[in-house]
Amino acid sequence: MKNHTHASTPTPFSPAPGENVAEGRMRGSTPHPELRARMLLILLLAVPLAAQERVTLIRNATILTITKGTIENGSVLIRGSKIAAVGKDVAAPASATVIDGTGKFVLPGIIDTHSHTGVEGSVNEISMPNTGMVRIADALTADDVSAYRQLAGGTTAALVLHGSANAIGGQSQIVKWKWGRPVSEWIVAGAPRTIKFALGENPKSANFRPPEGQARQYPATRMGVEEVIRKSFTDARDYMAEWDEYEAKRKRNETAIPPRRDVLMDTMADILRGNIDIHAHCYRSDEIVMLLRLADEMGFKVRELQHVLEGYKVAKEIAAHGAGSGTFIDWWGYKAEAYDATPYNVALMVRNGVLTSVNSDSDELARHLNHDAAKAMKYGGLTEDEALRLCTINPARQLRLDHRIGSIEVGKDADLAIWNGHPLSTYSRVDTTFIEGEIYFDRQRDLAQREAQRREKEELLKKEADEAKKKDTKEKKDA
Amino acid sequence: MSLRRCVAVLLFLAAPALLADAPGVYAITGGTVHPVSGPPIPNGVVIIRDGLIEAVGANVAIPRDATAIDVAGAHVYPGLIDAQTSLGFAAAPPRRGAGSTGERPPDPAPDTMAIRNVKISDDDADARRATGVTTILSAPASGIFNGQSVVLNLGSGAIESRVIKSPATTQISFNPRPAWTYPDSLMGVITYIRQTFMDAGHHRTARETYQRNPAGLQRPAESPSLESLQPALRRELPVVFLADSEEMIRRVQAIAREFELRYIVSGARQAYRMPSDLKNVPVLVAVKWPNAPADKEDREDQPLRVIRDRQLAPTTPAALQKAGVQFALVSGPGKTGDFIPGIRKAITNGLSADDALRATTLAPARILGIERQLGSLERGKIANVVVSDKPIFDEKAKVTRVFVDGREIRLPAEDKKAAESPASPIDGTWNLTVRAPQGSVAISVTLHAEDGKLTGTFSGDRGAGDIRSGSFDGTAFDFSISAAAQNEAETTDWAFRGTLTGDTMQGNVSTNLGTFEFSGSKSR
Repeated sequence: MKNHTHASTPTPFSPAPGENVAEGRMRGSTPHPELRARMLLILLLAVPLAAQERVTLIRNATILTITKGTIENGSVLIRGSKIAAVGKDVAAPASATVIDGTGKFVLPGIIDTHSHTGVEGSVNEISMPNTGMVRIADALTADDVSAYRQLAGGTTAALVLHGSANAIGGQSQIVKWKWGRPVSEWIVAGAPRTIKFALGENPKSANFRPPEGQARQYPATRMGVEEVIRKSFTDARDYMAEWDEYEAKRKRNETAIPPRRDVLMDTMADILRGNIDIHAHCYRSDEIVMLLRLADEMGFKVRELQHVLEGYKVAKEIAAHGAGSGTFIDWWGYKAEAYDATPYNVALMVRNGVLTSVNSDSDELARHLNHDAAKAMKYGGLTEDEALRLCTINPARQLRLDHRIGSIEVGKDADLAIWNGHPLSTYSRVDTTFIEGEIYFDRQRDLAQREAQRREKEELLKKEADEAKKKDTKEKKDA
Repeated sequence: MSLRRCVAVLLFLAAPALLADAPGVYAITGGTVHPVSGPPIPNGVVIIRDGLIEAVGANVAIPRDATAIDVAGAHVYPGLIDAQTSLGFAAAPPRRGAGSTGERPPDPAPDTMAIRNVKISDDDADARRATGVTTILSAPASGIFNGQSVVLNLGSGAIESRVIKSPATTQISFNPRPAWTYPDSLMGVITYIRQTFMDAGHHRTARETYQRNPAGLQRPAESPSLESLQPALRRELPVVFLADSEEMIRRVQAIAREFELRYIVSGARQAYRMPSDLKNVPVLVAVKWPNAPADKEDREDQPLRVIRDRQLAPTTPAALQKAGVQFALVSGPGKTGDFIPGIRKAITNGLSADDALRATTLAPARILGIERQLGSLERGKIANVVVSDKPIFDEKAKVTRVFVDGREIRLPAEDKKAAESPASPIDGTWNLTVRAPQGSVAISVTLHAEDGKLTGTFSGDRGAGDIRSGSFDGTAFDFSISAAAQNEAETTDWAFRGTLTGDTMQGNVSTNLGTFEFSGSKSR
């Protein structure tokens, strides 16, 4: 059996995924000629390894499975991208890379259901009250280093949401933070489609104001927000009827001009067909109840309420609808609609049967959602297990991906992190983060590569400065 | 004066002008001829007749009626083709922030015809020709659907008579509109492009259905805009997408796949990362390479991957060449004067000079579908010919003669250029006084600003020489000189930084002994 420390000997430009340090490596790029030879050698060494399925055994660690209890002195066997075995006694093939987990904890990858990381350009298409046709997936970029920083906090998956500037925002995207891979691989294939809704101050333009001289955009009240959503769905029903009529004509072999395909109406129709999950930004209990009633009236479901600071007031209604809640544990007071909040919100919602998660809406908070989970034990007395669920299996269920992520179970994606202490302690940090069996963050590797990266940066800057100087001298001579 | 005499006098007066404008017959001899379609011909001959190339070779008889032009020692090339410019169109209006409301001109539309709107000044044409470029593609780049481009010769006469191809391409770029105007985000722009192509497809279906049998059908609305996209949907007209980053290029590929477009990627700064994924796509590489930030601290603040990317960008042409990708070098958003230096940088980053020549002649001609007319020196092709005193991409090469459509176009004389370029308010000689604690130091500087760069000389109490690293933005300026401290033989750097107010200037000068104030006035 190979020793993990040897297997992960730090090498600049190692093609293994997740080797990126503070600044990451170029993706799919051709390096400088002087670096090519070095890289080629490493590639040649790596190819045979990649050809066979990678097997990793983490042993003698405390396994926080989330769904199947905690296993002291346990092992997790990762084969390829999946978890192959979990338990006290796990047999591993001789080829497996073994990581000694003595004194360490293994937690499923943390899942953040409210992220704006990795979006190129604006996260808001702000131009209309309903911009449900736009798709975050179209503007995703793998060039956002925040993804790597989140890996360092044990976060492996997220829902990247459109902003909250309009009542119906854009279609959002579920991703895994595969830093170093092209963005097409970040997108979780087969994950449910999602869309952002927003209620309250933001969509009524209280916090997004056009420049002087430009008319304020409808709606300007909470009544208007409700009307925008209702109207969008009635329009969608008309649109669907128009298409039904056309299809009926075609069946009767009548000549007919097909209706114009409208990407916004297609989106609204897909929500009504249950093909797109709604994640709705909200704060106040009145608007929450408004949306749930509107959903019943128009025939759609709300998958998750986002922020939902007054959720504790209407937890029973939320639970009855079957919506989840993704909230902050102790952020409030930053605007009028965020005043009537309490850190007990999480515990109150959990105790009233709401599927609850803690999420970030922030590149920074996304790196330590375990802390927010831990606070729910202090504020409201959740058990350790319940607290851990807030950032693992609960968000997985809210994303309808709990068959793949959110717990350490045989057959699930090997998305997990090895912590040097209990993840609910502020003193603990992540040693290694895996996504689908590949290491995407390793603390030792990161530390080891910093010097090489610093040197490379210095060399590149010097080269650039020298060229500039040469050009300057030449121009002087020419003059 | 009889009417007949009057006409005769007028004809006589007009004759020289008419003669100068006639295509005529020329024999360019003595130079090394680079046909591009074949190997260079030392001491070759190019015969031009009536706007076309009549003969190219080593042993070509000089026609009796030809004007012989001896270019011994020089190099003869087909005129360069710049397949991506916005020459003749106003620069993009401000997108956001101050000044972005109200006065913004309307964006171009899919049916905007460049041929109707392009306005190339004589100065701009002169400047382009002086770099060896005789044919350009031009289209606006400020909107999303930027309309139908035109390919034209930089010759004389009406635009219509200079056109090689129109429409040449449909142009699309990913520019969000100002906030609160759809689409104001990148994802919105992509959706807008997709919806527009869907609408164009629907327009076709609706019209075809209606035309087959209008009875009982609602008449579809007419739309010049959607109509203008039909050739693109039929794959008759290529769609040029402006995309620089790898991710933007991949977004382009997704759109092109969705609508089965024939397309061209233009910009392509990060194409070095993905040459094998561009094998079936012509690429127009803009040689406007990313610059390092001027400020040292800003440079050091940048992450390694950004610095790496910046330095690898100019390896794109060499990488595409190696992978067998069809590509051309273009100026894109770059200035006229950046084109040849940009190509040189591609050459120092691994592209051979021969491949660079191909990428500015035959390659763009093929990409634009005009290779039967332009791109090489071959019998029957349009006589766009340039003569350069040295190999054209050499550091010190100078284009000495230019023929467009068989007419020789005079290059602007150096002195004329200097006289015509508007003088900068900083141009001239300045008497400066540096107030050092040991006493005042008098220095005289003669400055000249062009394109934000400041050049010139200095002389005075502490030595004389050239100024270095000068810049001038219209008000603020900075430059450095090497001058001696009092009673010192060795020189050190003095960095001047100041502002201009009419005929006076003031600011600070940093030396190794400290920072002192200076002021000065223009000498009359």
